Amino acid sequence: MKICLKMTLLAGLLAILTACGRQEPSAPASTSTSHAAPVFEVLATSDLKDAQALEKMALQATGVNLKFRYGGTMESTEAVLTGRADAAAAWFANAKYLLSDSQGQSRVKLQEKIMLSPIAVGVSESAARALGWDRPEVAAKVSWKTITEAAGAGKLFYALSNPATSNQGFMALMGVVAAAAGKAEALAPEDVNRQAIATFLKGYKLIGDNSSYLSEKFIEGQGPRLNAFINYENWLLSLNASGRLREKLLLVYPREGVATADYPLMLLDEARREDYLKLVDWLKGKEAQTWLAQQTLRRPVNSEVAASLAGRFTHPGLLVELPFSPDRQLADGLISAYLNEFRKPVASTFVLDVSGSMGKEKRLERLVEVIHYVAGDDASLTGRIARLNEREKVWLLPFSTRPGQPELFEIPAGKRTGKGLAASPDSAAKLKVMAAVRAYADTLRAAGGTALYDSVLQALQMMAEQKKLHPDYQYSVIGFTDGENSHGRGFEAFQQDYAQLPEDARAIPVFMILFGDARESELKALVKVTGGLVFDARHTPLYRVFKDIRAYQ
Amino acid sequence: MQAGKRLLATVLVLALFGGALWYATQEHQGQQLQRPETQERRAVDSVTEMSGLVSVDLEPFFADVRVQKILRERKLPVRVTRVGSRDMAAQLGAAAMRSGGPAGGVADFYFPAGVLAANQIADEARKAGINATQTSPFNSPMVVASWQPIAAILVANGIARPSGERVYALNMERLVAAMLARKRWSELKAAEAFAVNRGVLVSTTDVRKSNSAVMYLALTSHALLGEVVTDRVSASAAAEKLAGLFKRQGYQENYVNGNFDDYLQIGMGKAPLAFIYEYQIVGHALNRSKAIQPDMVLMYPEPTIVNKFVLLATSARGRAMQAELAGNPELQRIAVEYGLRVADLGLFTAAVKPSGLAVQERLNQVIDPPAYELMSEMVEVLTREMAK
Repeated sequence: MKICLKMTLLAGLLAILTACGRQEPSAPASTSTSHAAPVFEVLATSDLKDAQALEKMALQATGVNLKFRYGGTMESTEAVLTGRADAAAAWFANAKYLLSDSQGQSRVKLQEKIMLSPIAVGVSESAARALGWDRPEVAAKVSWKTITEAAGAGKLFYALSNPATSNQGFMALMGVVAAAAGKAEALAPEDVNRQAIATFLKGYKLIGDNSSYLSEKFIEGQGPRLNAFINYENWLLSLNASGRLREKLLLVYPREGVATADYPLMLLDEARREDYLKLVDWLKGKEAQTWLAQQTLRRPVNSEVAASLAGRFTHPGLLVELPFSPDRQLADGLISAYLNEFRKPVASTFVLDVSGSMGKEKRLERLVEVIHYVAGDDASLTGRIARLNEREKVWLLPFSTRPGQPELFEIPAGKRTGKGLAASPDSAAKLKVMAAVRAYADTLRAAGGTALYDSVLQALQMMAEQKKLHPDYQYSVIGFTDGENSHGRGFEAFQQDYAQLPEDARAIPVFMILFGDARESELKALVKVTGGLVFDARHTPLYRVFKDIRAYQ
Repeated sequence: MQAGKRLLATVLVLALFGGALWYATQEHQGQQLQRPETQERRAVDSVTEMSGLVSVDLEPFFADVRVQKILRERKLPVRVTRVGSRDMAAQLGAAAMRSGGPAGGVADFYFPAGVLAANQIADEARKAGINATQTSPFNSPMVVASWQPIAAILVANGIARPSGERVYALNMERLVAAMLARKRWSELKAAEAFAVNRGVLVSTTDVRKSNSAVMYLALTSHALLGEVVTDRVSASAAAEKLAGLFKRQGYQENYVNGNFDDYLQIGMGKAPLAFIYEYQIVGHALNRSKAIQPDMVLMYPEPTIVNKFVLLATSARGRAMQAELAGNPELQRIAVEYGLRVADLGLFTAAVKPSGLAVQERLNQVIDPPAYELMSEMVEVLTREMAK
């Protein structure tokens, strides 16, 4: 038994050691473009959507039938960790969270960094002038501490992807924590200055889970109340080049706090090693590196291409990196504290279709099951985001022929004090509310028609009233329907009444879930009016869709 | 579990490490004659591929089409398999057992990185009744890749001194003292060019998984104690003191080129000092144009460790391979292109010169790493400390 254990450990170690070696790529192979080539699926983080054209280019140049499948950082990390990525390789902006875990390491057979993009703070030129950051000698001294102070003083209002689900958001928080602790290395949970995080988050105005969405919203909202965008350099440079901004962004690289995404391409399926090596060789070659640098504005790793494109990327002087802390307690503690303590708490209405058609195909059961998850105890990486968090308010508003009675559930705050990030178990009070949400869901019954617009409008009106009373919440409406509108207002009446809502109410996004026989065009038109997004749950498990939406709230 | 961890560490060090035992190993040259002369000749002349297990460092050399062509012409075609150096002894043992006797199923040669791995293979071969002769055609010293402004700061603080044009000798004793005192770059004299609050640290790969970081541990423990560690008590005390040098680095890449990639691609702001094998940067410099920026410099730790690549031949053809690698100037030239040092040092320096990278030709202060039991002890302590 003991020997057996030793042998297993030994085998595991050897597997890891063998896996860690980087292999020199072999010479590029035949350039045949057979479409019968087996798909080489790559699970990629969503900020790589701008690199999708590589699929075609790679097939032509290497014969490898590259196909991207996109997902959020945490979602993709979870998929690789649990061995459910179901892909030949994974391509993340940053894989340090994944690779600081031994389980994660064992999934990755080979890795190779493909390109670089440092996280920067893009500040509207007028705001940069007001802050004095337009002067290079001042900009060079801007640290995460300076940025925190500006946010706290009400001078910096930024867009940033969700710290609990994305690398940019997470690294920004780490930068703030490191700067406040006055030490850049070996940060531990006890070094966390909670006040600094709270101050920094005062400037957090636009939240979301992917760069395309945030870019669109930033273009719409850029102004004195939204004057900065924290993201990878390449997305900020792309926005500047798009000509769609009201004013250009000045890029500031936090002093001694730069986190550079290095885009490791990671082989997951040992059987595809050969194709992987071909791809890596090509991706690091002149053609792909030049294309990536010119089209996606990421910095090349190929020294020759870098030299030929020198000057293309802003040169703010020396970029001193923020070391990534491999301390999982710090990372997980920070994410949990962000969700449960620091972030602006979520207040939202779930507008739930319980019309007669929900009785078909176990639709209602599936909906109830998801509510059980959201109000349950899923502690997985993505589960903790889907879960109702402390301080959160949720109204459940079932509807059929007409809107039902909204029922409020409020999750109590936890008790925390002083410095550090000690994990605290759920309080009895929290568990009690969660149980009440689940019990309520169990009472839902399917019957009647679909008064979609009436119900969404009612939810918006209610959220607007709440927002007036309690402005310190992040408001949104999540609408769920499995059919077309059949009762109450039509779309045009909805549009008219929506236009009458106060501006504050119209700022509340509506996230619609497309389910069953719901009409895509109807929901798309709706969110076009209200702002927000449509999520398709016809072919994706409903729980996964909920997790996605939660990252936008 | 404790035993398991201990075993892990032991295996790791056993396999990764080598040093003093290298010259102690008997080469048993005379035993070759046990085989009939004719059989030997036929084997050498055979054109079927011989098999070799090589470490990751050497795989590109054997994959080079010129190398393959030369070996084919010399009637030594070879099929190599990349295997972790530490895995080779076990593979030899298993192959010998499977084939039920000497030679059958066993590779013609084993080519690990590091003398200790070589000795493990030799031991295994002896147990299986196989003659294994050893030669070391290639080697590569451990170096610190750095930057001109960083070198200037270290010189101003007496931690480094120029030992040639754009080459520096790194005083390990003083460097380790500064790191253990948690000196920040901004606290050093004349540090304007890198006046950052980060602590002075050398970036390495993950010591729990990678050989080069284990070499760093050997050098830093030598600097700390003033001698090669020779007993368990001082080994584990040294490792405890040195744990911070690894832990404070934060996340470490766990593949062989990890910290070197950071040095090359992200630069001074990420890796002011990167502990690597010399072949990594020399190979890079010789294979890519514009690879070496003018401010990239090498520092040679004083003392340093020279990592030897040891070729163990278990058959007549393996021994022919040994002779070929030692005697064929063309193969040596190609090995140099991959950054490796060969017996003819002039060949190496002449090749490196035009690349823009400056290297230290002769290494005056070279030590052997501690015995593997002691290294094992130290890695074990570090593994424990890093989990805290």
